[in-house]
Amino acid sequence: MKQTLTQSLAWLHTWGGLIVGWLLFAIFLTGSLAVFDQEIDNWMHPELPAHHLTDEQAVERALGYLREHKPDAKQWGISLPEERSPELRASTGGRRDGVSVTLDPNTGDVLPVRESAGGRFFFLFHFTLFMPGMLGIYVVGALAMGMLAALISGIVIHKKFFKEFFTFRPAKGQRSWLDAHNASAVLLLPFHLMITYSGLAIFLVIYMPAAMDALFDGNREAFFKAQDAAPAVVEVKRSAISEPAPLVAMGPLLAKAREVMGPLSGVSITNPGMSDAVIQIRPILGNRIALIKGGGMRFDGVTGEQLSGPTEMRASVLTHRVISGMHFAQFGGYSMRWVYFICGLISSAMIATGLVLFTVKRRRKYASESRVAQGFYHVIEALNVTVMAGLSLACIAFLWGNHLLPVGMAERRDAELTVFFGVWGLSLVHALLRPRLHAWREQLALAGVMCVGLPVLSLLTVNQPWALHSRMGVELTAIVLGGMLLWACWKVSQPQVERAPRKKAAVLAEGN
Amino acid sequence: MLANYFAAWAFAYIGMLALCQGLERHYKQVWNKPPSVALRRILRTAGWLSLAVSFYFCGLAWGWAMGPIGWFGLISLSGFTLLMLLPYRARLAVWLPLGFAPVWTMMSTLG
Repeated sequence: MKQTLTQSLAWLHTWGGLIVGWLLFAIFLTGSLAVFDQEIDNWMHPELPAHHLTDEQAVERALGYLREHKPDAKQWGISLPEERSPELRASTGGRRDGVSVTLDPNTGDVLPVRESAGGRFFFLFHFTLFMPGMLGIYVVGALAMGMLAALISGIVIHKKFFKEFFTFRPAKGQRSWLDAHNASAVLLLPFHLMITYSGLAIFLVIYMPAAMDALFDGNREAFFKAQDAAPAVVEVKRSAISEPAPLVAMGPLLAKAREVMGPLSGVSITNPGMSDAVIQIRPILGNRIALIKGGGMRFDGVTGEQLSGPTEMRASVLTHRVISGMHFAQFGGYSMRWVYFICGLISSAMIATGLVLFTVKRRRKYASESRVAQGFYHVIEALNVTVMAGLSLACIAFLWGNHLLPVGMAERRDAELTVFFGVWGLSLVHALLRPRLHAWREQLALAGVMCVGLPVLSLLTVNQPWALHSRMGVELTAIVLGGMLLWACWKVSQPQVERAPRKKAAVLAEGN
Repeated sequence: MLANYFAAWAFAYIGMLALCQGLERHYKQVWNKPPSVALRRILRTAGWLSLAVSFYFCGLAWGWAMGPIGWFGLISLSGFTLLMLLPYRARLAVWLPLGFAPVWTMMSTLG
């Protein structure tokens, strides 16, 4: 049978979309949550008090602790509280082998904080799916390619791109699902393309290693080294002898760094208390679009003279960092985070409507098919429930687990992950065993109630649950999302309107 | 400050609304009669102009490097708001911009 281009692409969109759609939904949902990773992290560490420290005071507190407890360390690190995070941390050692403690910003003593996978979990899951080694990153990359293919084929097979730009006809069964899928895809197309492409571009060296292999013999170190332009060094002649010397006053250095780079995230001091001490001050991500890790400005630890930085990037490196920065959404403050968060949720909904559409279109047909085919569609229906309702349930159960597991428990982080994956696994079993509509209804209802109940949980398990605004923000957002889940549950419970007798044939013919 | 973000979203909404009403199907959906060709042309021009004004406020709100990214986001989100309002409260979707001016005034006087 000869097929037109549109027909072939429709086939690709349907089946390709089905295969990549499930995991893409998980990636998009956790990615949207990861926009507020720090806020969720604050919620998951209810011991952290609000702070009212300036950078200078915070550095003094941390230095006080380090001088008293770690005077001999080769390297001191201080991670400063900032707008999004109230946590003041002091660490010793390098980035890999370092040991760090959380300090009470008011007293400067060690603050016991519960062990938790934290808001970072959603960020890590978003691009690794918690698969072993590098596998997850490759899988996510392949899925992103699938997303691009689905987007392009979707545009081609969408017959009325402009005519139906704003069209949504609710309560018309399959027609409504298709409208919702099309309109959310078309209206947010710039976001879909940007987020998918930039997501791929972040790992360009991993996905396309050929250039690195050819130019640098596969030596990744050399590759990254070549990316650093000649550092804007104000190199000062420094004596090679190292003898005890007092640390320079930090206040003026912090002020200077802030003036050049904007809000600051941390300070590290190499060889503290010696004459060859070096102070490095780093800015927070998000003072600009480009995603800059490390870097910052370096100062002589005794004289306070500026040694280097902030480094300028080459145009090619800057381009890559800006594209990555557009994906990470660290720039533009909370307003931009909300734009990304809502766009991400609508994208998730777009993928969800596509997955639902697959089954809605076939439901009438497969009732009359063979047992094997029926079993196949039953599994697809169950996977749909597991991926959409079940993942929502697992995410909120993860937060509940954080507050309900004993605070002093050993390997608490793993226990939280067990809660997440355990609940997700159970939701699959539940979806396979229960009739379709019951599975949807029960999982959506439970997830919705748990979202709405989040403040009650805090009230019962935590002292001063709303000492931080960000914690209240997490709970208010959870209430709104829970409301949507309950609304979806209520919709599922409504009598079906799939078989609107009028124009049944026309609807079938229109569905692409 | 907040007022600029709001203005950026509001003009994006007005722009999308005007472009939407410039389409025959959606004009009929609200007013139960087809629009004249001249009216459609005016609506479309007004729509693009309003999106341009939205771009200006995005630049003010986020700066000219980050502003364009926020602009695309706000156009999408305001379009989505419109999409969700139209089938349920079509008249409200059209009259909503009348409420923007007092909100904007309040925001700019408060902060």
